[in-house]
Amino acid sequence: MGSILGVNKKQAQILCVGLDNSGKTTIINKLKPKETQAEDIVPTIGFTVEKFKSSAVNFTVFDMSGQGKYRNLWEHYYKDAEGIIFVLDSSDKLRMVVAKEELDLLLQHAEIKAKKIPILFFANKMDLRDSLSSVKCSQMLELEKVKDKPWHICSSNALTQEGLHEGVQWLTDQLTSHP
Amino acid sequence: MNLRRDKKDEEDGGSSNPFQGLEKSMVIQEARSFNDTPIVPRKCCHILTKVMYVLNQGEQFGTLEATETFFAMTKLFQSNDSMLRRMVYLLIKEMADIADDVIIVTSSLTKDMTGKEDLYRAAAIRALCKITDSTMLQAIERFMKQAIVDKVPSVSSAALASSLHLMKQNPDVVRRWVNEVQEAASSDNIMVQYHALGLLHHVRKNDSIAVSKMVSKYTKGGLKSPYATCLLIRISAKLLEKEEYRDSSPLIDFIESCLRHKSEMVIYEAAHAIVNMKDTTARELAPAVSVLQLFLSSPKPTLRFAATKTLNKVAMTHPAAVTACNLDLENLITDVNRSIATLAITTLLKTGSESSIDRLMKQIGTFMSDISDEFKVVVVDAVSSLCSKFPRKYSVMMNFLASMLRDDGGYEYKKAIVNSLVGIIEENPEAKEAGLSHLCEFIEDCEHTSLATRILHLLGQEGPRTPKPAKYIRFIYNRVILENAAIRAAAVSSLAKFGAHCEPLLPSIMVLLERSLLDSDDEVRDRATFYLNILKQNQKALNSAYILNGLAVSVVGLERALHHYTIEPSEQPFDIKTVPLDTQPFAEHKVTSDVSPAARPAEKAAPPTQEIYAEQLAAVPEFAHIGPLFKSSKPVELTESETEYIVRCIKHTFPKHVVFQFDCTNTLNDQQLEEVYVQMESAEGLEVETVVPAPILKYNQPGTTYTLVQLPDDNTEVASVFSNTLKYSVKDCDPNTGEPDEEGYEDEYVRVMKPNFMASWEEIGEDNELEETFALSTKTLEEAIQNIVNFLGMQPCERSDKVPEGKSSHSLFLAGVFRGGVDVLVKARLALQDTVKMQITVRSTDPEISELITSAVG
Ligand SMILES: Nc1nc2c(ncn2[C@@H]2O[C@H](COP(=O)(O)OP(=O)(O)OP(=O)(O)O)[C@@H](O)[C@H]2O)c(=O)[nH]1
Ligand SMILES: [Mg+2]
Repeated sequence: MGSILGVNKKQAQILCVGLDNSGKTTIINKLKPKETQAEDIVPTIGFTVEKFKSSAVNFTVFDMSGQGKYRNLWEHYYKDAEGIIFVLDSSDKLRMVVAKEELDLLLQHAEIKAKKIPILFFANKMDLRDSLSSVKCSQMLELEKVKDKPWHICSSNALTQEGLHEGVQWLTDQLTSHP
Repeated sequence: MNLRRDKKDEEDGGSSNPFQGLEKSMVIQEARSFNDTPIVPRKCCHILTKVMYVLNQGEQFGTLEATETFFAMTKLFQSNDSMLRRMVYLLIKEMADIADDVIIVTSSLTKDMTGKEDLYRAAAIRALCKITDSTMLQAIERFMKQAIVDKVPSVSSAALASSLHLMKQNPDVVRRWVNEVQEAASSDNIMVQYHALGLLHHVRKNDSIAVSKMVSKYTKGGLKSPYATCLLIRISAKLLEKEEYRDSSPLIDFIESCLRHKSEMVIYEAAHAIVNMKDTTARELAPAVSVLQLFLSSPKPTLRFAATKTLNKVAMTHPAAVTACNLDLENLITDVNRSIATLAITTLLKTGSESSIDRLMKQIGTFMSDISDEFKVVVVDAVSSLCSKFPRKYSVMMNFLASMLRDDGGYEYKKAIVNSLVGIIEENPEAKEAGLSHLCEFIEDCEHTSLATRILHLLGQEGPRTPKPAKYIRFIYNRVILENAAIRAAAVSSLAKFGAHCEPLLPSIMVLLERSLLDSDDEVRDRATFYLNILKQNQKALNSAYILNGLAVSVVGLERALHHYTIEPSEQPFDIKTVPLDTQPFAEHKVTSDVSPAARPAEKAAPPTQEIYAEQLAAVPEFAHIGPLFKSSKPVELTESETEYIVRCIKHTFPKHVVFQFDCTNTLNDQQLEEVYVQMESAEGLEVETVVPAPILKYNQPGTTYTLVQLPDDNTEVASVFSNTLKYSVKDCDPNTGEPDEEGYEDEYVRVMKPNFMASWEEIGEDNELEETFALSTKTLEEAIQNIVNFLGMQPCERSDKVPEGKSSHSLFLAGVFRGGVDVLVKARLALQDTVKMQITVRSTDPEISELITSAVG
């Protein structure tokens, strides 16, 4: 009521997915205001709901767990997603094909296919040796074939927050340019 | 206006409930709106309440529906409204077992349980433990350990209590938390300490040494919480039960020391524990009773109530110990709390003298209408136990019971009163007529069919033998005119008994019964027709067999036999003698002063074990030819408890055969026995016809072998001793074990009740009567009767096993049915002169059997 800013700001519900150990929870945690950040991060079981703000959007993120046995539960949260954050562990070349498979399943899902929602990719853990560049990642995922949705990929280091702001800014622009 | 509606709603039986008539499908539909954004907490809370309501009304949710609703609900974690979040926790718990993939909320709940919002933490723990299965427990173990030692008491308590629930499925994981639990047990918070002690006890429950250690540690001190102390008292009392000499136990010292604790709760718990110990001595009881006595004058109603209730119990076993409290109890008679007053009075009734009864009964009568049925039953019980204690006071009590019968009250209450009245009538012949009159009056306006039929049956049984049987006819016939079919049928049966027993009434009874020939109900018409035709014959024997004493067969057995007969019809007519008899239990349920008549075991509903045996035996092809099962004995252990093989024997008697069933268990885990059977040798040359071995006896898996023995045609030779040897083959060795087994002849007949013994006596007639006189070595009539009943194993009839006080002679009536369906009746006249002299007369339909019984006594 008091916060004029809050009322005017756009609210957006975002789904954060990606393989286990890719750094989803770590990224989201870093985007939250300092005082609400968690001290230690453990593998997610199921999901948690987190909130953070960018310059023009109030985000509500469903941070899903990436372990194989829980991935089939992502789809329960597709319907209301207004945007997707897909996190890759850019140092995990071996499982890049698994990530591609999950991405393809996601894109083919009826609830997602019908919507023109933005997808933000983080090629995370860029600080690790042997990590792939964002260009290389997008090639391996064949992102050039995604034509019906706006997407963007940026390299990130969740520990130092490098690249996070860039990604969130892109998402903010996408969400505010199509009211 | 509003007021009036409320009143009306109440009368409608709660249509003021806003959730009444909710449909599951509609609620599920509404729950879909949880997916909508933004979330409106108030609206969602309301819908969650509806889901909860529907679930608790017992509606079954399919897995799909439940899962859909559950996942929709998970979206509500977006909202930070604390009311809504807590509703979500509640519903998570409700749906944990019916929806799939409920672990989806695990991280959300662990986040809340470790978060900053204290309002969420305890509830999140409870929900988390509900959705966690053994595969997931590892993942939350760390959080649970932290929560147990959390400094916020509600969090710690919730973690401890939830761990207790987790123990059921995952005892091993919870055991790993014992250090944390121990730490919590030294908490300053009373609830945390209580829950921690409870969990510690549970963790160690199966290790009696560990429990003893724990108890001895905490009884020495360290518990601040009165709740924990109460629990420790309970655990100590449990341990004491197992100790042989509790005098020397430190546990009893601990419990007694708790009588001086500063918390009233602990004091009461200690007193309660002492009072409830097995065989408490007067010395142990005294300090407990005196603290309870102090509580009697406490200003707190709860304490007064607890103390009176406990003393009421003590009064049953140790009335003398409670008399010291009589003055305080007298003061409570006028307590504003009627429950306390009732308990006080009923306690006084148990401890008081005969002279105080009238006064107490008058007191209690003044507020009977103010107390609930539950307490009214307490009063009824107290009154009926008084009757057996002071039989001379029966008329006061009976009038009291009768007036209660006239008041309003539910079925349980009325049943208790009727039971008490029936008990008095049966125990006290002087009370019979008055009692029957009260019951007659009651059935004039009785809304409970089962009570009315029971009373009608009693009237039919007792009424004809009173000096003025005619006066009951009007009451019974009124039932035929006014009541429902079940009661009318009972009334018709009752009338027929009067006709059969009382010659002068016969013509008018016939007229009355004729009126029922046109009754609208089949059963009533059939009964009337049947009885009329019997009565018309005017033969004592028929009256006795078909009206006064009726069939003594087991109903389940009759049904089975008839069913069998209809599937395999034979040339021969159906023989009622092939139906197993409805046997009387060996021990009569005596109404002792502290067991309320209402607590007497209800009519048996399950088929008796004999029916189960009959079915099992019928499945053995070797026994196809031996006819219907007559009687099965109780199992007898043939082996000592510590032997390698355990063998139990059950004897099944058939018309011409006996089947011995041996249930064997092999207690050696390194052996498998094969072809197991029992070799029986009889000294008297009884012949073993067939042996059905148990093919395999694996470790700890019971197996059964049968031995079929043919009985001689000559009935007199039925006592025999068998020596039994267990035979079997093992791979490497072949040891034998043998135990002799004695067989009496007592199992040859079953006890049957003859409600009207004399009619049966006449029915059998004196053709095969034998009479003999004996001098017994017993010193009292009671003892002599007990011995005869046990020895012959027959059923005492018409309560003739009870000797009225101060009598020096008595007649005992016994009835039984011998193998082959032969009726046996025994009349024993006993007289006391220093020792007991007995003249016994045996009548039966078979002369040989009369002889057998007579010679058995000698
Ligand atoms: N070196 C490095 N480590 C990272 C980075 N981001 C995350 N990590 C580490 O990767 C591990 C996994 O991170 P999480 O955030 O739990 O991964 P997740 O994707 O949420 O995993 P799930 O919840 O199991 O699906 C943690 O030990 C993080 O500290 C990064 O940019 N660089
Ligand atoms: Mg995670």
